[in-house]
Amino acid sequence: MTRLTRRLFGLGAAGLCLAGRATALRAAEPREAPALAARVKEGTLPPLAERLPAEPRIMPLAALRKMPGRHGGTLRMLMGDQRDIRFMTVYGYARLVTFDMAGDLVPDILARVEVEAGRVFTLHLRTGHKWSDGHPFTAEDFRYWWEDVATNARLNRSGPPMPLLVAGEPPEFAVLDATTVRYAWKTPNPMFLPALASAQPQVIAMPAHYMKRFHARHAEPAALAAEIKAAKVRDWGALHERKSRSYRPENPELPTLDPWVNRTHPPAERFVFERNPYFHRVDEQGRQLPYLDRVEMAITASNLIPAKVGAGEADLQARYLRFDNYTFLKEAAKRQGYRVLLWEQGNGAQVALKPNLNAADPVWRALFRDVRVRRALSLGINRKDINEAIFFGLGREAANAVLPESPFYDPAHEQAYARHDPAEANRLLDAAGLARRDLTGTRLLPDGRPALLTVDSSGESTEETDVLQLVAEDWAALGIRLFIRSSQRDVFRRRILAGQCVMSVWHGMDNAIPGPDNEPEDLAPTNFTQAEWPLWGLWAVSGGKEGEKPDLPAAWRLHQLHAAWRVSRTREERAAIWREMLAINAEEVFTIGIVNRTRQPVVVSNRLRNVPETAIFAFEPRAYLGAYLPDTFFYAEGGG
Amino acid sequence: MTDPHPASGALPLPPPGGRLVHVAATAPFNPHIEEALTETQKKVYLADQLTLMWWKFRRHRLALVSGLLLAALYAMILIAEFLAPYNYEQRHTGFIYRPPQAVHLFHEGRFLGPFTYATQYRLDMETMRRLYAEDTSRPVPLRFLCRGDSYRFWGLVKADIHLVCPGEGGTLFLLGTDRLGRDVLSRILIGARISLTIGLIGILVSFTLGIVIGGLAGYYGGLFDLLVQRAIEIVQSLPHIPIWLALASIMPPHWSPLLVYFAITLILGLMDWTGLARSVRSKLLSLREEDYVVAAQLMGAGTGRIVFRHLVPGFMSHLIASATITIPSMILGETALSFLGLGLRPPITSWGVMLNEAQNINVVALYPWLILPVVPVILVILAFNFLGDGLRDAADPYH
Repeated sequence: MTRLTRRLFGLGAAGLCLAGRATALRAAEPREAPALAARVKEGTLPPLAERLPAEPRIMPLAALRKMPGRHGGTLRMLMGDQRDIRFMTVYGYARLVTFDMAGDLVPDILARVEVEAGRVFTLHLRTGHKWSDGHPFTAEDFRYWWEDVATNARLNRSGPPMPLLVAGEPPEFAVLDATTVRYAWKTPNPMFLPALASAQPQVIAMPAHYMKRFHARHAEPAALAAEIKAAKVRDWGALHERKSRSYRPENPELPTLDPWVNRTHPPAERFVFERNPYFHRVDEQGRQLPYLDRVEMAITASNLIPAKVGAGEADLQARYLRFDNYTFLKEAAKRQGYRVLLWEQGNGAQVALKPNLNAADPVWRALFRDVRVRRALSLGINRKDINEAIFFGLGREAANAVLPESPFYDPAHEQAYARHDPAEANRLLDAAGLARRDLTGTRLLPDGRPALLTVDSSGESTEETDVLQLVAEDWAALGIRLFIRSSQRDVFRRRILAGQCVMSVWHGMDNAIPGPDNEPEDLAPTNFTQAEWPLWGLWAVSGGKEGEKPDLPAAWRLHQLHAAWRVSRTREERAAIWREMLAINAEEVFTIGIVNRTRQPVVVSNRLRNVPETAIFAFEPRAYLGAYLPDTFFYAEGGG
Repeated sequence: MTDPHPASGALPLPPPGGRLVHVAATAPFNPHIEEALTETQKKVYLADQLTLMWWKFRRHRLALVSGLLLAALYAMILIAEFLAPYNYEQRHTGFIYRPPQAVHLFHEGRFLGPFTYATQYRLDMETMRRLYAEDTSRPVPLRFLCRGDSYRFWGLVKADIHLVCPGEGGTLFLLGTDRLGRDVLSRILIGARISLTIGLIGILVSFTLGIVIGGLAGYYGGLFDLLVQRAIEIVQSLPHIPIWLALASIMPPHWSPLLVYFAITLILGLMDWTGLARSVRSKLLSLREEDYVVAAQLMGAGTGRIVFRHLVPGFMSHLIASATITIPSMILGETALSFLGLGLRPPITSWGVMLNEAQNINVVALYPWLILPVVPVILVILAFNFLGDGLRDAADPYH
């Protein structure tokens, strides 16, 4: 058994013993949420003891440095788009297994996970766990997803999703009993559990009792035809897909395991999420979580969100707030009764330049494949000036590298080619065949064109353009003239893949606080959305059918290391792979990070408790607010 | 009254359907044979068109003031770099978001001449706000006709003379600085060059197209008119914003700002001529039926002479009015385009670019001086409208 297995096992066992104590407490004093008490009294809802699993997950609030709370209250949030209701799934962060603060996997919805040799995963459900409509959550829900959805030709044309395939091979799925399922691969699958714990999780169980209605194999044809007609979709497959969408909870009827359940049919301007009466977590006093009864998400224009937050229209808000809104938010804080916390961004670089090694322009492509050019461009940036001028000096002048919170942090990687050294940069560029200059001092490319470098941006933030303007001044001193082209995100992506864009600006690696269990996908060609090597990424993701094979030795090595991670057996093995990949990236400067650990303002109502004062704001692995357990947030005495 | 020009019976009429000979008597003609005018009367009654227009215009005080203001502004943009206290691109990292600074004359009761106080800077870590205070113990006299930031005059000649510069160690941010610490006043002055001329160049394009196409359509009528009308309808039915979007996106980003600028004026002009062409056409349609046109035709005048000598002056007042209304709409068009991020791009600056950068809640709440480019926009547009009003009245002095 691996170390991971022991860890998971150990926590599972701890959970069991805590559950026993909590049952005793609950017997002593019933801890029903007042909002649900009336329904229990009416008889429309079973009492709490019948709603909770036999062994609920008991949140060790004291150990998490949180206070035990009280029930009640509505949390207001603002979002810029109706599709943003997906953030409720992210913030809820109820997963089969979750990442904890140390980056370790712990069971959440599951009672326990057993892993043998990194390839046989036995998932143990909590006995008596129920969906939000009160129907039991059992192995049948896993069976339904695997047999009727994942391997159904209509619903998943290309077969089961990536994390469930190892070298193209699906697992051996078996139902052991009503609360136990097993996935067994022939070789290790380190992707499986992290995918379940992701902020955008891999679904492997669906409420079968509800979904069967929309499935051609189970539904009565006449009833199904009527449903298809009512939903105005093409066929049952589209209907099933629409009704089962859980990441973006658009279907209020869909049973869920999340702390809050959507009660509003889209389209709407305001979405109301109500507490899930069957949620599986309780506090140490036996109170069922979440503490907050309702979450209201108002949809508004995203550029108005800072203004509305300043007008006191949100109780908890981070998304759509930018660092430069801080002063404005802070000025209104006292009047509106909120506080503004400054969390740290959890990406490898807040702003990173990505030279396109697959650019269509052969001259630039050849130049960018020369590591001297990439290093020179990095050395030519005055990061301190940018940090001072745009980020109040609060960021860290660094390359695109992992943060100190990660076990793989290495100051040498962070500072690799991140100092400002125009002399060295000019020397490197001269050596790389760019020594000739025109009358204005602009370098000439090997084919005689002046070195005019157009940087594409998705046009979403003025911060990027401001940084680019400063970089343009710095690079002018290197004899390279930078131009900014703002487009729109889809156009931007398309231009990158087509190689039309020579260099682009984006942020650095998404997960800069990785543990060994996180896939090192940002460090190697793995996806066509990677602006530094879109065609190599396409090659990797298509299994070599499309795109181009990485032909730069360093990139090929990264590809091999990533492949090795995907068949790795132990944590130690994975950690070693991570370290080597980070070292290669630092040395090769495939992406030019400018500044990281910049601040993210988080507006929190003064009455809201248990929100950490400082934290890392990251989609992976923290699910933005999710890892800080919004189900334990509560309103202090004096309203709600 | 005896006819001073007895019909010349000497010229034979052409055969029916033949072309008339253009005849105008060359002998001097004095319509005041009967009653001689006094000198004063002569001055009034025999004043030529321009003089009459000027008299009429002068009486419209608002228009006069507006005209002078515009003249001053246009004169200013010729030497904008010299007038600006800083190079508009110069960043002052130590003075980001510095509010407008006052110029003082008296220091501790003593007359010092114009000076500014040195600035004390403090970062309020609580609100992350940069706070600036005047250090009233350190007056820094302004310098005039001095050497300051270097610039390229008209983008060509390197120079560093400014009308006014801050003293050594002092600053002169009369309208504050922006998020990169650039002087707002200098940027407004340089931006005026683009914002004010874009209207003129744009109108040149749209007037040329409008008068020529509309004039020909109105005068000739028939098939040509029909084609022009349909073309105008098509152009007018094109939604402006998507067209701007498309045109803005096909402009390569490495085009020099100057080229982008001309492309934008061209776009504005090409989108704008249709209204004018329509009104020119309808005016011509009615005017060409007037007796004096028939008379001119009978006297054998050609198309060009009739249109430009006899017809165009007939609706000159209309043209002037629409020109003066179109210029501000072009200025607003550029401002709107740049405001939406479709028009001019940094590093070139215009009032629209500046307003584009100012469109967020932070500016409104914390750095209101960044909205100041609105003031010249409003002033110029009002001035153009008043001027147009005055000119229209003046162009029709008998009315």
